[in-house]
Amino acid sequence: MSALAILETGLLLGLYALLAGIWGVLWALAQSRKRPMYGRLAITAYGLHALAALTIILSTPLGFGWKSLIVVSSFAFLATPPMTWRLLRYTHQNGPVKT
Amino acid sequence: MYRSQILAMKYFSAAVTLFGIMTITGLISAYYYINPDFLFGVLPFNIAKILHINTLVIWLLMGFMGSIYWFLPGELGRETAGIWGAEILFYVFCAAVAVVAVVFIIFQYGGSNEAALWLINQGRKYVEAPRWAALGIVLIMVVFAYNVIGTAIAARKTTGIITVLMIDLIPLILLYLIAFPAISNMSADLFWWWWLVHLWVEATWEVLIGCIMALALMQLLGTSRRIVETWLYIEVALVLGTGILGLGHHYFWIGTPNYWLTIGGFFSALEPLPLLGMVVHAVYDAGAQHMKTTNRPALYWMMAEAFGNFIGAGVWGFMITLPQVNLYAHGTQWTVSHGHFAFWGAYACGVISVLYLVLQRTRNLTIVDGSLWKWSFAVLNLGLVGMTGALLVSGFVQAFVERAIGGSTLQAFISGQENAWFIDGMVARFLLAIVFTAGYVVLVWDVLSLGRRAPAVAAAAVAQ
Repeated sequence: MSALAILETGLLLGLYALLAGIWGVLWALAQSRKRPMYGRLAITAYGLHALAALTIILSTPLGFGWKSLIVVSSFAFLATPPMTWRLLRYTHQNGPVKT
Repeated sequence: MYRSQILAMKYFSAAVTLFGIMTITGLISAYYYINPDFLFGVLPFNIAKILHINTLVIWLLMGFMGSIYWFLPGELGRETAGIWGAEILFYVFCAAVAVVAVVFIIFQYGGSNEAALWLINQGRKYVEAPRWAALGIVLIMVVFAYNVIGTAIAARKTTGIITVLMIDLIPLILLYLIAFPAISNMSADLFWWWWLVHLWVEATWEVLIGCIMALALMQLLGTSRRIVETWLYIEVALVLGTGILGLGHHYFWIGTPNYWLTIGGFFSALEPLPLLGMVVHAVYDAGAQHMKTTNRPALYWMMAEAFGNFIGAGVWGFMITLPQVNLYAHGTQWTVSHGHFAFWGAYACGVISVLYLVLQRTRNLTIVDGSLWKWSFAVLNLGLVGMTGALLVSGFVQAFVERAIGGSTLQAFISGQENAWFIDGMVARFLLAIVFTAGYVVLVWDVLSLGRRAPAVAAAAVAQ
């Protein structure tokens, strides 16, 4: 790995995780506030996240295993907000249980 | 009010005081990078840094203990068992911290003998406290565990949160036993030392703050027990599942087998996933409550906890967690940047949130609001984010110039330290540390004056 590639890879990995977080927040806001704008912004954020993933795969010297992890993580990041939201709605809609 | 809750207030007072000492010693440590002659012959850099990182651990620990002593009687419906012992040990704890700090400042370090280990400094980062003080911490934690478990036994009841807490206290105490170094092989010693540091911070403390946030959510937003307990189980399982074997992401340059690097990189790369779930949860709660609460500072600090944890531990951690990058970034200001952000997001924001909840009850305030908390919230977070950004720049220079190009030689180290970007980063960090300190001063001002301003705030809110 070249000296510059270390910085580029580190920054791309940070950007990758940050965009996943932005996607999650915007997706949750779209559900919470029912505004289509948040939904469009969320899709844009995920698109940028996917672009960051693609850049990591094509231009960084990470090994095949780590690149595979990036791909699988991207799908997990995509699924986490809807799954979390569904579970949250389920737990809230079923009402409190006294203990 | 229960005696346990009075004790909690004392713990919070001590925690906020130590937060201040941590801030000041951090400011001094930051200034050494700009002026290495500062306090020459009086207070060396390593002692200022020891005080900075040890007060970090102690103020957060005291904040956690204060939180538990506050919530426990309400949760189990009775006074905390053995509270008299806890009350005595609080003063012992404070006195011991003061004595250890004075010994560090005056004696600094001793010779290569048992007496130095017992009386002055054990010499391992984060757990430098001399052996007598480390034994005291074990005693305090054992009594703390007795307080929690004994109360549940005496009350003949437990809750999901308290059960998780009781289970968590066992590894919390056992792992601290590694604070007593007994291995002369440095690789083996560092291998186990990381068990203490990593598994406290990324396992047992995560569970502890999860329990505290669950209890705080019920008090702050009236969230049902079933919901917070369900989420506590899910989040604890995910955080522990990714955090425990993430241990391997520390095993660089200390002689551990290579497979640890892959294991550590893999599991810690999964850590942002549960943290993203927590962020989505925070947005859900904020939307459900329309950000309306009688205690806005507590809610905002709780939100900051979820977001700060994701960004500090998740994003900043992900930058450096894969072995190819970690190999070069390890031990540079890049990891310092990650450490600052992660500790702040994961723990400090949570403790401050509970502090405001406690103040609302103890000062009998209908509504907690005003402008001071907004200033402290904004300035502390601005200072912290700025510091981590500046440290990141300096860390890039170290990874690039000193490690990757220079090959970690002494000359490469000096080249990195003399690089203009590195110096600018450290100057910016110092200036932003001043901003952070100003935020701390406003926080203390707000905390001290909250009761006096509250009637006007409450009246204004009622009038609206």
